[in-house]
Amino acid sequence: MRRHTRRIYNLCYRFTGNRHEAEDLSQDVFLRVYRTLGSYHSAHGGFATWMTSVTRNLLIDHYRRTKRDRITDSLDDALPRLEQKESAARRPDQAALEGELSAQVQRALSKISPDLREAVVLRDLQGLEYREIQDVLQVPEGTVKSRINRGRLELARLLEQMGVRPE
Amino acid sequence: MAWSCEQIEARLTDYIDRLLDAGERSAFDLHISTCSRCAPLVERVSRLVAELHRLEPLEAPPALVPAILEQTLGPRGKKTGWRALLGWLRPVWQPRFAYGAVSLLVTFAVLFQALGIEWRKPRLADLNPVNIYRAADRRAHLIYARGAKFVTDLRVVYEIQSRLRPEAEPTPPPEPKPGPGQTEGPPAKSPHQLNRANDKSREFTALACVLETMPARSVR
Repeated sequence: MRRHTRRIYNLCYRFTGNRHEAEDLSQDVFLRVYRTLGSYHSAHGGFATWMTSVTRNLLIDHYRRTKRDRITDSLDDALPRLEQKESAARRPDQAALEGELSAQVQRALSKISPDLREAVVLRDLQGLEYREIQDVLQVPEGTVKSRINRGRLELARLLEQMGVRPE
Repeated sequence: MAWSCEQIEARLTDYIDRLLDAGERSAFDLHISTCSRCAPLVERVSRLVAELHRLEPLEAPPALVPAILEQTLGPRGKKTGWRALLGWLRPVWQPRFAYGAVSLLVTFAVLFQALGIEWRKPRLADLNPVNIYRAADRRAHLIYARGAKFVTDLRVVYEIQSRLRPEAEPTPPPEPKPGPGQTEGPPAKSPHQLNRANDKSREFTALACVLETMPARSVR
């Protein structure tokens, strides 16, 4: 259970970019999994993939619910980058905890569209195979590849703008 | 067929995830070896993907699992008394903390021993730097003196042993056979006793020689 907890928590965090929201969403995921365990059939794929699908559905619900807040956030994002730096400096403990690159990746991830974000997170941060991502997202393989490709390009472009150069 | 920059960008993920066949891969490589726009892009995205794969997943908050268990399996009985204390100490009871604590204890024990601090009867004066220095100095001299004495004793014992070791006695010349009508002389009285007495006298003589040659300090 702890392994799944960590994985689900990371998925939620990478999608929302907020630790508290990720914690709450992880609890919701496990509650939903517990309640709908009877609907899981191993013939439809692995348990981890099924849990990821449940998580993804909850994340999409959460995304739609909090859309208005995010519009405000995106306006904040449009402010000069100096303000972002000050904001980051105000939370040194968080930056230290996450690691600099991890925090920068998270900032870049939060700026790309949810479709691309979830594809990149599932592929590159959760390590899922294309087939599993296809099952989770319920889209054709070509779409999965296209989203991952665009997501990576977008992420690389944003990180370059932020002055981050991966080793 | 030569690929365009748009094709390179569209198939970049296939290239990084090694999903291109041999022909496509060689066309891709050919393009990026000559295109100054695509080569840095491919390198940048490849590095990013490698870095993303290396990123350590974050640790889930410690309270998350208990919260999930409470939500799914219902509230668990609140622990009281020593059970609550044990629950609080559980994160500390891990092998790494145990190893750390044991090595810390051993380090302090060795330090206390070396500094001559009596841990059973601790006194405030033991922590005085002057006292610590004196105790350490005394301990070092004692250890040195004991070592020197041990080496000297070993040498004495070795010398005694080498003196007491029976020397290879020369083989006695064969006695002339008694002539016809001659007897072999009177038989010795209790020859075993005589031999033992001879051995002891030899040992005492050797010991006396050694003691005479040794310095007076060693004998004491």
